[in-house]
Amino acid sequence: MRIELDRRRFGQFVGGAAAATLVSSAMVPGLARAAGETITVLNWQGYGTDEEWALKAFTQKTGIKVVHDYFNSESEMVTKLQTNPGAYDVVLVNSARTSQLGADLLDPIDLVKIPNARDLTPALKNHPNFMIGGKPYGCVWVWGITGLGVRQGKVAQGASLAVLTDPVFVNRAAMNDDPIVAIGIGALMSGQDINAPKDLKRVGEKLRDIKKNIRLLWQSEVEWNKAFAADQIDVSVFWSGAAIRSRQNSKLPVEFIMPREGALGWIDTLTIPKTSKNKDAALAFINYMIDPDFYYEWSTKIGAPASANAAAMAKLSDDDLNKVVHKAEYLGKLQIHGPLSDATRAAFVDLWEETKAFYAK
Amino acid sequence: MPSDDGLGRARSVASRPRVPVAMQRQTRRDWPATLGLLAPAYGVLLIAVFLPLAVMAFFSFLKQAPFGGRPLVFTLEHYLAFVNRPYLIDVAWRSISLGLWTTGLSIAIGLPAALALARATRGRARETIFILIILPFWSNGLVRVFSWTMVLRDGGIIDAGLRWLLPSLPPLGLLYSFPAMVVGLVHAYLPYMILTCYLSILAIDDKIVEAAASLGARSFTIFRTIVLPLALPGVMSGAVLIFVPVIGSFMEPRILGGKVGVTMGTVIEDQFVQGFNWPLGSALSFTMLAVVLVLLGAFSRVPRPRPTA
Amino acid sequence: MGALGRIWLFLVLVFLYLPIVIMALMAFNASPFYALPMTFTTKWFVDLSGNAKLIAAGRNSVLIALVTAIVATAIGTMAALALHRRQFRGRTLLRVLLLPPIAIPWLIIGTAMLVFFYWTGIGRGLHAMILGHVALALPYVVLVVGAGVDSLRPDLEDAAMSLGSSPSDAFFRITMPLLAPSIIAAALFAFAVSLDQFVVSYFLAMPGVSTLPVEIYSAIRKGFTPEINAISTILLVASMVIVLGFARLSRIGAGR
Repeated sequence: MRIELDRRRFGQFVGGAAAATLVSSAMVPGLARAAGETITVLNWQGYGTDEEWALKAFTQKTGIKVVHDYFNSESEMVTKLQTNPGAYDVVLVNSARTSQLGADLLDPIDLVKIPNARDLTPALKNHPNFMIGGKPYGCVWVWGITGLGVRQGKVAQGASLAVLTDPVFVNRAAMNDDPIVAIGIGALMSGQDINAPKDLKRVGEKLRDIKKNIRLLWQSEVEWNKAFAADQIDVSVFWSGAAIRSRQNSKLPVEFIMPREGALGWIDTLTIPKTSKNKDAALAFINYMIDPDFYYEWSTKIGAPASANAAAMAKLSDDDLNKVVHKAEYLGKLQIHGPLSDATRAAFVDLWEETKAFYAK
Repeated sequence: MPSDDGLGRARSVASRPRVPVAMQRQTRRDWPATLGLLAPAYGVLLIAVFLPLAVMAFFSFLKQAPFGGRPLVFTLEHYLAFVNRPYLIDVAWRSISLGLWTTGLSIAIGLPAALALARATRGRARETIFILIILPFWSNGLVRVFSWTMVLRDGGIIDAGLRWLLPSLPPLGLLYSFPAMVVGLVHAYLPYMILTCYLSILAIDDKIVEAAASLGARSFTIFRTIVLPLALPGVMSGAVLIFVPVIGSFMEPRILGGKVGVTMGTVIEDQFVQGFNWPLGSALSFTMLAVVLVLLGAFSRVPRPRPTA
Repeated sequence: MGALGRIWLFLVLVFLYLPIVIMALMAFNASPFYALPMTFTTKWFVDLSGNAKLIAAGRNSVLIALVTAIVATAIGTMAALALHRRQFRGRTLLRVLLLPPIAIPWLIIGTAMLVFFYWTGIGRGLHAMILGHVALALPYVVLVVGAGVDSLRPDLEDAAMSLGSSPSDAFFRITMPLLAPSIIAAALFAFAVSLDQFVVSYFLAMPGVSTLPVEIYSAIRKGFTPEINAISTILLVASMVIVLGFARLSRIGAGR
């Protein structure tokens, strides 16, 4: 990473008057490109692909260097992908978004070129979420559950989402501040399809019912962990992978519960943008990312969601928390987040904003 | 207080002319100089703020942002958001009252602090305090807000301190409340108020204050008739620097407000981040900007006390 | 009011530094979630020393903030002098135009910049970041320096000129020294605005180049470790020593 003050690139500005007053310069991250192939990965920070030990091993094995850029929300990912053609080689895409990016921005992936793909769980390998015209636009990587994270002993396994309205937990509950998750939970509580609830009004009613209990609307794992560690909340809508990390690494007394009504499931894929200039290197990186050896290290040392690679899950010991939380048979019980039309998404956001305004009143 | 302040002595305000001679004398031939002074700043603002915002303003009249081959469909519906979504009125009111509380408390705390800095300290101590007031803001805002959660939460510093004094106290529940947001915001913006007030007060001539005192005026009278009117430009700039950004703030409300932390800032952020609805998000923020400008315009017409010394 | 005033000032400083002290204390606390009771550790500082990425990000932040503070203060002071000293058509409009960059959330301005810079070919990189940072710091500089100009007596320059000094001489020898506290305050604020600015850096930095706030905000979803507290504390203590030392030597903090 170098910063170079370079006066010759003065002409980069459009407005001449303003340019004259500025020290122009350019950062040159791509210098390494000359030495060997470099790929740029766009992902959440701290989400598997940027583990330092893994990158070191990957570069040693293949000679390919890996640079990262991050996004903080899926809309940012879409924006960055659209406004930076050619900049990215591997992009993490939640499969619910694949059809939105579509064939315009992504390349279909030929799974034959990814040796480790042969062991991908059949139910996930060609999941309809990321199939366009019969071709997969992405290699399925990990999946996870959004269910309940509770203080150990306060709620029994197999409990209903109704604990969120239980008067025992007045002012002791938390909800994920994300319209897609919140509406999904409301849909589960009212027995509807999370991607196309027929009766949004009932979803809204169910969500309004938990007002008395809601104390915190969280957006990030760190916020949740701080509130839980400080004993501000007992029950919460929470991510499975995050619950494992909180328990395994931070020794917080969290238990993850798969609610009786089922839970929300999500599938993350690794994709290759159409404009990538290093597609072979990108395939090699994806192959490494679904490798059982990498996954074992990632899951046991750092804490990870469930791998889509059956061979990787088989490598974990049977009492591994990851395996206990992400039972293979749960895949059938989950409602997986799927693509939403602009209108549906707007309606979800509207309903959630209105509900939050109601909570705040 | 004897003045060792060269600044104060140099600036008698008593006979300050409303339109300075320098301005009256300035004629047309000065316009190149004026332009030269303004061009760099407004050139940068044009490229980095005004033109990009003009693009956003254009988007706000579209049904959807024109990405991914979506057709251009013009609509005014995003500007009817407050009509179609009555709950937004509550939210807007919460934002405005956050702005008023934060600004009001900042004046109440900051103006006396600025007075004390200008009148009760001098020399090195004054320089040091002046800098100490700004330095906390050379740290990250998010880290500071997380530190506040530690102060305000149950079992946190305030709660534990009070419990040590009064063991039978019920949980205070300070965190995740409206006051928690106000505390976080006052902390984030107070230095602006202290410093703008301080800069105005510096300009007040000690001799006027001394003369008034020797004529038997009480401190409060001096404050009301001399200090306050002269400090007013500082209070006003400070108020603008605080009220305007607080209306659109979303970080402090989210982290300190808990479920109460629903403001215009969070609604707009959600439309951008979660809804990917740039047209609605930008229409909401331009509406908010218009409201802020109207409020400030109305406020600036309120007659203000003039120096009577 | 002397003693009372000093007590008030002291209390205000306690309020301002309360979260800062906690930030520093938590850099020495073993729990990454700020859990109490505190267990002392220097683990986070040790981790930090091996975290080249975070250190580079810190260095980038300081560098950009420095450039931003200098450029924004220089051109902002010029604009403030024009806006508050000269009369011309459109003056009110230009003053009102300073408000949108403050009022409109950074997220929206950042997104708008990204789209506009992409369309016009300005692109991403350090030049774009500095352009964005300077633009967002400018209104603060103009408003703070403007408040200072308003409380100056403009007839002093006239007096000097009528006694024979040239306009530029009068400006640099009379006005500038009187404006020094405002200009310094403005520069300190511009530095702070840049140091805390993440949206612009986030959208406009080249992949692989990062600043401290970007590191912090992108880490938030998963959780940042107190290494962040550690590097923030180091930066703050270092800047405190440098700035206070500088003020002590030059005595330019707030007039003599």
